[in-house]
Amino acid sequence: MASLAFWNPIACIIAFVVLVAIIYLFRSRGQKKYKKGTAQTQIFLSGEKPPDAEQRHIRAHNIYWGFFQALKQYYDPTIKAHTGIINDYIIWFITLVAVTAVILFIVWLT
Amino acid sequence: MSLNSFKRALWVYQLNTGSCNGCDIEILAALTPRYDLERFGIVLVGSPRHADVLLVTGPVTRQMAPRLKRIYEQTPDPKVVIAIGGCGLEGGVFYESYNLVGPIDQVIPVDVYVPGCPPRPEAIIEAVVKAWVKLEKAAEQKVA
Repeated sequence: MASLAFWNPIACIIAFVVLVAIIYLFRSRGQKKYKKGTAQTQIFLSGEKPPDAEQRHIRAHNIYWGFFQALKQYYDPTIKAHTGIINDYIIWFITLVAVTAVILFIVWLT
Repeated sequence: MSLNSFKRALWVYQLNTGSCNGCDIEILAALTPRYDLERFGIVLVGSPRHADVLLVTGPVTRQMAPRLKRIYEQTPDPKVVIAIGGCGLEGGVFYESYNLVGPIDQVIPVDVYVPGCPPRPEAIIEAVVKAWVKLEKAAEQKVA
């Protein structure tokens, strides 16, 4: 069965040229009066001083803001538990091993 | 006066520099169906970088002064500033308050003054028309 898809470089070039023409048309209709090197070319942040370019990026972590907000009740205690102190982690480990051992012992008895 | 040189819709950015919102409500009233400024192509925009006219209300508090200056600087030329309301013109009821650096014309140059507390929408519309004429003259000079 012949496929409908085909590779035609001429068609791709024509599509590219048409796209560039459309982009150029939009761009040429834009505001041309901005004075370069003045505040007119700075980004608008409700009148606040725009931060430096390297400070402007949005951290990927921000994508998960809603996720963290919804699960805040779960995350807050777990974040607190992650103290970074190895002794705390070993206490957690020993506690969990002890609880598991007790459960297994009860199961073995019954 | 016919508009021959400034042949496009007039875009307006509105800024409150400490107003009680009375003037802002009247500006909104000018956009409602009773007055319907938008039928003339006069549109409120969300960024001064798109605007031809700055519509400023309020007596300019200390917090707002640097922001007002920055917004004025960010507006492309030619631009016209309209000061709306008694507070913007001379401080109004906040006159001589410790917290003011205004009125508006002490912070940025003002082209059209609209007195009133608050001014009626008709007065605001007349001011916008005057601003438009001023822009037309500026455009004419540039063409000539």
